[in-house]
Order: sequence, then C-alpha cells, then structure tokens
Amino acid sequence: MAARRTRGMTGGSDLSRATVARATAIAELLRYECSILLELYRKKESFTADVTVTESRLVSVPPPSSQLETRDKLWCLHSALLQCRSFLERAITKEEEQLGGGKKGDYETQRKMVKERLSLLLINTGELLKTAGGVMILTPSSEGLELDGPTILFELKLWVYRIFEEVDYWTKTAITTLQALPSVIAKERARTTRVRSTRSARR
Amino acid sequence: MVLVKGIMMIPWLLLVSLFCKSTQDGNGQESGVLHCGAQNLKLTNSSQMILLTWEDTPSCSAVQDVLIYELEVLIADKKEHYDEVAVTPDQIGSSHSWNWTSYLALECASHSVRLRSRYKNHTSQWNQETLPGLETSKAEVYPKDKHFQVGSTATFCCVLPAGDVFDKMSLTEYSSADMNTTRISNQTYALTVHLNQASKYSCTDVKCELNPDVGACAYIGYPPNVTDLQCETRDLQSVDCHWTDKDSSLPFKSVTEYHLLESPTICAKWPETRCSQEVRVDARERNWTLTASNPLGEVKLSDTADLTKRVHMFPPEGVTVLSVNARNVSLEWKWTVQQYYNLSLICQVNINNHGENTISEYFGVGLNFAVLNDLIPNWTYNVAIRCRTAQHFWKWSSWSTNVNFHTKGDVPDALDVWMQVMDNQIITIWKMPLANQSHGHIEDYEVTWTKTTERERQNRTKVAPNNFSLALSLDTTVGHIVTVTARNINGSSAPSTITIPSSNPDGTRVNTSLIIGSNGSFNLSWSASPTASCGYIVDWCPTLGNCTVGWLKVSPNQTNASILSKNFKDGLRYTLSVYACTQEAPVLLQRREGYVREKKIQDGLFKSVKGQQQDWDYEVSWEPISRREQTAFIQGYVLYCLDNNNNKVINFSTDNPEATSLTARNLKNGSYIFTVKARTAVGECGATSITATLNLLTDNLIGTVFISLAAVFGLLSLITIVCYRHWTCIKDTVYPPIPKPVLTSTGEHGCRNFQVDQCHYSEADIMDVPELYCRAGTPINGFVSQENMPFVFSQTPKGYYNQPLKKFTPPPLTLPSTAIPSQPGLPSSPFRREFPNASYNLIMQPGNQQSNFCPELQEGTSLERSSDGYQPHGHPETFATNQTEEDPDSPMSCVSTYILLPQSSSR
Repeated sequence: MAARRTRGMTGGSDLSRATVARATAIAELLRYECSILLELYRKKESFTADVTVTESRLVSVPPPSSQLETRDKLWCLHSALLQCRSFLERAITKEEEQLGGGKKGDYETQRKMVKERLSLLLINTGELLKTAGGVMILTPSSEGLELDGPTILFELKLWVYRIFEEVDYWTKTAITTLQALPSVIAKERARTTRVRSTRSARR
Repeated sequence: MVLVKGIMMIPWLLLVSLFCKSTQDGNGQESGVLHCGAQNLKLTNSSQMILLTWEDTPSCSAVQDVLIYELEVLIADKKEHYDEVAVTPDQIGSSHSWNWTSYLALECASHSVRLRSRYKNHTSQWNQETLPGLETSKAEVYPKDKHFQVGSTATFCCVLPAGDVFDKMSLTEYSSADMNTTRISNQTYALTVHLNQASKYSCTDVKCELNPDVGACAYIGYPPNVTDLQCETRDLQSVDCHWTDKDSSLPFKSVTEYHLLESPTICAKWPETRCSQEVRVDARERNWTLTASNPLGEVKLSDTADLTKRVHMFPPEGVTVLSVNARNVSLEWKWTVQQYYNLSLICQVNINNHGENTISEYFGVGLNFAVLNDLIPNWTYNVAIRCRTAQHFWKWSSWSTNVNFHTKGDVPDALDVWMQVMDNQIITIWKMPLANQSHGHIEDYEVTWTKTTERERQNRTKVAPNNFSLALSLDTTVGHIVTVTARNINGSSAPSTITIPSSNPDGTRVNTSLIIGSNGSFNLSWSASPTASCGYIVDWCPTLGNCTVGWLKVSPNQTNASILSKNFKDGLRYTLSVYACTQEAPVLLQRREGYVREKKIQDGLFKSVKGQQQDWDYEVSWEPISRREQTAFIQGYVLYCLDNNNNKVINFSTDNPEATSLTARNLKNGSYIFTVKARTAVGECGATSITATLNLLTDNLIGTVFISLAAVFGLLSLITIVCYRHWTCIKDTVYPPIPKPVLTSTGEHGCRNFQVDQCHYSEADIMDVPELYCRAGTPINGFVSQENMPFVFSQTPKGYYNQPLKKFTPPPLTLPSTAIPSQPGLPSSPFRREFPNASYNLIMQPGNQQSNFCPELQEGTSLERSSDGYQPHGHPETFATNQTEEDPDSPMSCVSTYILLPQSSSR
C-alpha cells in the first residue's frame, strides 16, 4: 500500500527560503488555530483537558527521520498533511450528519478556518516538495484510509477529537521539519557543490 | 384347612386389588395434571425488553380450571421481578408469551427468566431461560445512543473486561447529586440518573472514566408538544396548516416529524411549524389532522374547518400603473391563482404620500384593477394592494410589492392672500405655495389692484417667484381690491382677491386684551360675528419691531383657533388680531397681546435707578420700563433692602405694573443694598441694585446740639451785655442798698449778739460739718463781691437772686463759733471764716423759717456746678430728719428741721 516514487533528484537544490519561511509561518498559524479548535471542541463536548483517547495514530506515514533526505522528509510531511485533510473533511461531514449541523457558532467557524489553513499549508508543502523533486502521490491512497469512522456516537466524538489532535500533531511536526530545512538545504548545497567540483576536477 | 383358608382369601384379595386399582386410576389423573408445565421456552429481547414464549405440556390438556404460570426475572442471578400469567382452560394448548422491560440494558448483565406452573396448590418444577450479558474484551457503556425523556430515570452500565478496575461513571452536565452508582457484578457497574435537562448540542455523554475513556451517548429531550393547529387554504387546491410546538425537540437526527392527514409523507420537521398538502377543497367542514412524532412519543391534533371559508389569498402580483393623469391614476394587477378571478373580492390600496398613508377599498369579482382619484398633481405616490374574499372574512393577503408613480402637473392652487396696512402703504402678502399646491415650478405671480370706487381701472404688475408680498403706496383713505394669481408651466391659478379697507381715523377702535400662550401656541377664541360670511382671519406679528405677519383663515362656523407658528419665540410679545371675513373688506373683531411663553426678564431691567432718603425712609425710583424690555407681563415690583450690618432683608412691593418708585420705610442708620425686581408670572426677575448709606440720626443730633448750644450762648451773651450795660439800674431796682448793720462789738466772733437760739446746733453737729467738707470748694464769688454785706450771699453771682431775698430782711443768723481755719488767700471776714466750705449751697430761708436753717448737701449735684450758680430744681428734695436718729454717726445731722433748696423759677 505504501507506494513512493521519486525521480532521484537531490533535494533542496532549488528550494526557496521564502517558500520555506512562508510554509513555516502558515504552519505556526495553523498550530495556534488547532489549539483553539481543540479547546472549543472540548468545551462543546464537555471533554476535560485530559480526555484520553487511544494513542495509536490515524495517519500512517513513515516517521520523519534525520536520515532521510530533504525531499523524503517533505514527502512524508506532505503525505501526512494530505491524510490529515482527508480525515478532517470526513470528520466535518460525519459530525454534521450524526451530531447535528447547521449551527454556525465559534466552533464551526474555527473548524472551517483550520481546514482552509491546512489546505494552504498543503499548497506550500506541495510547492516545496515539487521544488525538491518529490512526487505528490498520497500514500496510502484515500481509498485505503479508514475514513468511515465509528457509528456509535460517543466513539464518533472521540474519533473527531482524535482527528483534531492528529492535525495538531502533524502541524507541530511540519513546523519542526520546515524549521530544519534551511540548514539542511545549506549542507546539501555545499555537498552538491563539492561533488560537482570533484567531478570536474576528475574530468 | 390351608386350602380352605386360601379359598377364603381369594375374594379378599380381589377386593383389595380392585380397591387398589380404583385408587391407582384416580391417582393417575391427578398426577397427569401435576405434570402440566411449560415447554419450548424461548427467551428473546428487543432493546431492553425481554420476551418469553412457551407452550403447555400435553398433560395440561386435563386441566379444567385456570392454570397459573409464575415467572421470576433474575438479573445477574439476583431476583429482580416476579409476575404471574393466568391461562384459562380454553387457552391451554396454545402458545403463551410474556414480556418485561428491564431497567438495565441487556448487555450489562445476564437476564434470566424462571417459569413454573401452579394448579390447585400444586406447582411444577422451574424452567429457566437466560440471556447472557455481554462478555467483552474492552470496556463498554450501555445503552448506546438511546432516547430518553426529560424527567425520566435512566440506568447506564459500564462493563469492564476482566482485570480492569472501575473508577467512576459520569454524565456530562449532571452533578453527582443527580446520580447514583451501584455495583451489579464483579465487572459491571450501573449509574442511575434522574434526567432533568435536555441534551444541549448533539447528545449527552455517559462516560466510564478509564484509560482511554469509554462511553455512550444519550439523547435526552421532549416528546412532541403541538398546540394551536390552524388550517386554511391559499390556493383553493391544498390545505395549509400551521401550529406551535414548544420544547418538542430532540437533538439532531431525532427531531419531531409532522404528518398531515395521516399521510406517511413527512410534511415538516421541527422547528418548522407550517406545511401544506394538496386536497380537494369543497364547501364542507372536515377535520384536518396533524401527527407529530419523535422517538419519545406521538401527538395528534385536529382542526375542524370548511376551507372555502378560510381562504388566505396570495398577494396581487404584477401591479402596474395603466394611465397616469394629474389627479387620478388607474392600477391593474394579476392573480397567480386562477380561482381568485371567480371570487368576490375586497381589495385595499394603500396610498403612501410622503409617509402619510391613505387606504382606499375596492370591491368586485376577481377584482384586478382600481382607479385612484383625488390625487395631487405633480406628485409622487407609492401604492401597495392587498385583498381578501368578500364573504367569510378570514385574513387579508399580505401587501403586494410597492409601486411608484408620479402624477402629471396642473395649474397652481389659488393663493392664500392677506394684507397689511402700514402708514400709507398697503402690503399684499401671500403664502408661498407648497409643493403640493404649486403643481409645478412657479414662474411668477401677477398682482392686480383697483380702487373699490373705480373697479374698471385696473393696475397690474408681476412679482418674481421668490417674492411673496407686494407693497403698494396707495391712497389709504380709499378702499382697494387686490387680486393675486400664481403661474406655472400649466397656466395661472384661480385669482385670490382681498379688499383693503379704507383707513378711517374715526373708525371704531377695539380694546386690546392680554393673552398667555400655552404649549408654545396661542389658543384664541372669539364671539361669532354675523358679518363673517366667509369665515375669520386671525393674524399675528410681534408687537414691537419688524412685523412679519402670519395669518390663519378659519371657517365661518369656527370661533376658536390654536395659533402655532415655528417662528414664535419665547419672551416676545405678539399682537393677535381676529378679523371677520366679509364680502367686502375684513372687519377687525378682536385684538390681543401676549407671549406664547413668558420668559424671565434679564437682570438690569431698571434704568436710571436712583435713591433718595426721606427721614427714615428711602425711595428708590427708576425710569418707566419699555415694553421692548419686557419678556413677560410685569405684575408689580418688589424692593428688597439688605442691611449690610446684619444681612437682614426686608421687602416692599407694589402690584402696580406702571409704578416707577418704591419706598423702603422705617430704616435705621447703616449701609443698605436696595434691589428692585419686577414680579411676573415666571417669578421675580430683572433685578437691579443700588447701595446707599443712611446716617440721618447722627447728623441731625449733632446739628440740633450745636444749634441749641449756639442759641443758649447767644442768649446768655445778650443777657450779660444787657445786664452789664444796665447794671446800675438793675442793681438799684433789684438790689437796693441795704443799710449796714450796726455791730455792737468786735472780736473773734463777729455776730455775737445774734440770736443763736434760732438755730439749735449741737456741738457734735457743728463738729461734724468739716467731715462733709473733705474737699474744699472754690470760693463763692458772691461772697467775695458782697464783702460788705455779710448776711447776703448769692448762688448766682451773675445777677440771679433768690426771690425771697427781695422781700424779706435777712433773718439774724447765729453761727457756731467753730475753729474752722480760714482759707488762705481769702479775705478775712467773720462770715468767711465761719463758712469756709462754700460748696454747700446753703439757702437762707427768710421769715418765720429762720429757726430751721441748716446746710444740706444736694444729692447728685457736683460741688463745682453748685458753686457756679443756681441750679433750678423742679422738685425740691427733702431729707427726713430722723435719719440722724437712725445714723448718729452721719457726718451731718439736722434735728427736727429741713434744709430747703431754692425753688425753680418756673414753679
């Protein structure tokens, strides 16, 4: 199920610092908005702050590793965020179907804002991934995701909460990954330059 | 013998065996009944309800009476419920069923049902069926996603897998006081809650707090609560019903659904409260039924109505203005429902004229047009239409959409003309035509005038559209007729004519009376006048200053008017005149002066305030107050006097509004602040003050004293001069020469031969005398000047003499010869030696009183004054002689005698 395809390009050669900075700023804003969304949801569902849900992750991607190249890191991140958006969209639909919709309160506004911000972040990470030479193929595919969610209402509520936490988790991961990119880019550039100069010297 | 015995035993054995058989036969039937019981037990469930079905065993067919089945319900092996089912003989053989709803979800614990039969005190063995509880590998809460009614009690359970430890259960938004947790089995716990509040958002969470949390959702709400169903028809093809539904709600996905006329189709969902359904509308009453249902219940409500009497029309559509004229317009509209064209209708047209609404009604079958009359030319209107059936009024339709139109222009309305005669000028004035009077832009005004005596000779002039008066210098001794018309693009208005009366100095005058306004207006009334054929005219303008006249025309049958003008100012005096409108010139009927609202007069009203002291009074005067200064009617004046010494205020007032002075009376010396104020209906006002000091008493007193002293001095001087000039004459006349006494001997005592017994002085008395003279008096001039007349001494050396001396010879006086040292520097005379202290004003009484001459000290009289001359006394004072007896140590004592003081000449 996990399918990954790369074009074998060295990542980061053309990564724009501005794009990275913009993506980081968006991720930071999304993180802030996620925290508000979680708070509003806890308040709406009378969940305490220490409400415990299962610790397993909904999003399935290889964990980011320092051993990975930049484009692979970006691919992992982008893939995770794509899954997050799918889950979020499904959660919103299920919530409106099963738990009542139509109301336009603070919670619903915040939920919509998080969804739109996540989409914006995805555009930026996608741009970075494209620049890094990665391929934007979701893995696992949307068909493979368990998007149906539980049918029992209480479990559905917990599931929605898990999705919000998942978005929050991957947003934090995105910030960490994006903040680490400039130094990686610099190192890789330096390495690329060395390799090229070595090759030209050999010639 | 044995055989015989055996043969004899046989019948007995037969009898016994027969008995036994008969007994066995009877016992066999009974034992068959006792074997009657249940078979084929089947225990099922639906939600929390358990359903048990069973059949009778074949042996039950013998039962001929009511068979009882006893049932017991055990939850987690604990007896929870007991019930009985009675089976009549005719039911025996058929299948039986019984159900019971558990308070607990069946997943929570095993539910067992035991069953046995009972017949005539005989019971069968128990048969038992069990529904096992849930055996789970993970914790669960039951029931899940169930509906509960607010006010009910619900039990939830938390089933734990083996090894898990229970902590607590809770229900969101419920306090622990409303909940009770019990242990059902080792791994099952129940939470019983009284549900007193509906779920707020989606559903209420029931949590079993573990790691991770497990829980269930509960829908808590209300069953349908529908009231006030009312059905009608709008299109005569369907029924349209509406209702109210309070609290009929359950959270999302469980809302109340409404069905009309028992139709399975959902007509509406809460919170909608209206729906319609196609029906055949005919003229008969029938029930219109609404069914409201949600998971908690169902309610049916009916409304009985003949829909042909309940037609609630849709509003007219497509309202258009067909023809627009100056004063009328025709409107047309369409009906979206064709049946409306067959109905007898009433329509209302709301004509909105710049915010003012007028409603006109129109009737007709299938009415779809209306003609609006009496419109204002050149005017914009906004109209809307609504209709209803003429018969069986039910409801008006809503208003149609608004339609605007603008009427065509027309000639201006006739002007409202009035006149004002000032000196030799006749001012014709007219009111500016309002927009709804001009019917178009006014281009100019035309004024024509003629003398009443020469009507054929007309003068004519045009006036610019922004002028609304024309001053004509005409001979005011002759009446004039003035006509004014306004002209716009559509033509000239009808002429407005006014007759200017000739000024007649001998004409009847009308007295002016006062009037006070109320609420910013003047309420004027007058007596009806027979001459007022065309009504009355009331005009007004400020009494003083520039007069911009305003006027009001009222009908002949009206004899009062409320005059309200935006130009009215508080505190400004107006003159109001009432004229009778006649076929000739207007006739003045009444004139009033007043304030629309009196205003306090500003301080400093009084000019040239002066004060004048008049003895103890002080008059404050001022100039007459002009009416221009008056912002209220003056009813009088008040004068306040503030005494600066003690801050005491006294006031004096007058009710005469014409007064120009006020007098403060009976004042005292001191400084005063005099404040004069005008008294008006709005209080005292216009204060003006002056300060004055009153010192009349001191000046007059000093003056009087000085004048008196001067007069006395002058008189004394005159007397002195006269006396000096005529001293000889006076002396001869008043003081004739007295022959010198002949002394018989001379020695230490010059008056030895005197009759000393006439004065009985004791020695002690004589010796006491010097004590009285503790201070030597000044020598008496008289004694000195009368040195040669030792028996005469005068207290008035300036020529005044005691009268008795004139007539009587001085009596012989014997004086005790006391050793009183003579005063140094004085002439040595026997007399002087004996009366060294001349401060005593001793009076020698002549005649027969000679025996009682004693010196006496005049009380309260200074020695100096006594020595200077005679002091007249109005009342000769006497001292009682017995004083001596009471006080023998008195410095001077006269025994049985008095000392007489000179009598006043006035006496």
